[in-house]
Amino acid sequence: MPKRMTMALFSGSIDKLTAAGVVLTGAAADDMDVDIYVLLQGARAFRKDVAADATKLEMAENPQLKQEFLDSLKKLNVNPWLEFFREAKELTNVKIHVCGLAGKIWGAEKMEDFNELVDDIVGISEYITAAQESDVHLFI
Amino acid sequence: MSQEELVAIQADKVVDARGTACPGPLLAAKKAIAEITSGQVMEVLSADEGTKKDIPKWATKKNHEYMGTVEESGFFKIYLRKA
Repeated sequence: MPKRMTMALFSGSIDKLTAAGVVLTGAAADDMDVDIYVLLQGARAFRKDVAADATKLEMAENPQLKQEFLDSLKKLNVNPWLEFFREAKELTNVKIHVCGLAGKIWGAEKMEDFNELVDDIVGISEYITAAQESDVHLFI
Repeated sequence: MSQEELVAIQADKVVDARGTACPGPLLAAKKAIAEITSGQVMEVLSADEGTKKDIPKWATKKNHEYMGTVEESGFFKIYLRKA
């Protein structure tokens, strides 16, 4: 049985999403099964129009350094945040679940309102159950 | 394995990940090792300091053999034998 990781991805800020993507990549390289539960701010980041345009996201910390952050990532040849999620899904069993309430808050109610990496829209009990059964649990 | 022995190895696959920072090299190694068969040797080129510890640790966990690392100027080569 592969080890399981659950991640509560609350953040919709570009620095935290990037960090979440790096952690996710590590789990994928380790062949873990990963379930990501996208909560409030995170749901906005996965909305189709926002996911397609990183400039619509802000930094959680040091907001004045956003441009420096983006320039550095580019210079270091680091993927945009969403690409980490895409690559991880190609490597291992990663499922991205979006909280139904969170989606509604940002005007995204149906699957077609979200980026294609999203697997389904779920309620909170599914997240709690998965977190209870996982080996690693993160809140970002 | 000595440095001389490592340098003499003809790897079955060479992955040049010098253009990427962590986690790029790990990801490249993970993808590439799927393309060789058990017992074959892979060489990963990287200039990312964290990768020096990261790939041996990952490889050992996945039961591949970490054969050693050779320093070059400005980068290094990590040798792995697939489980």
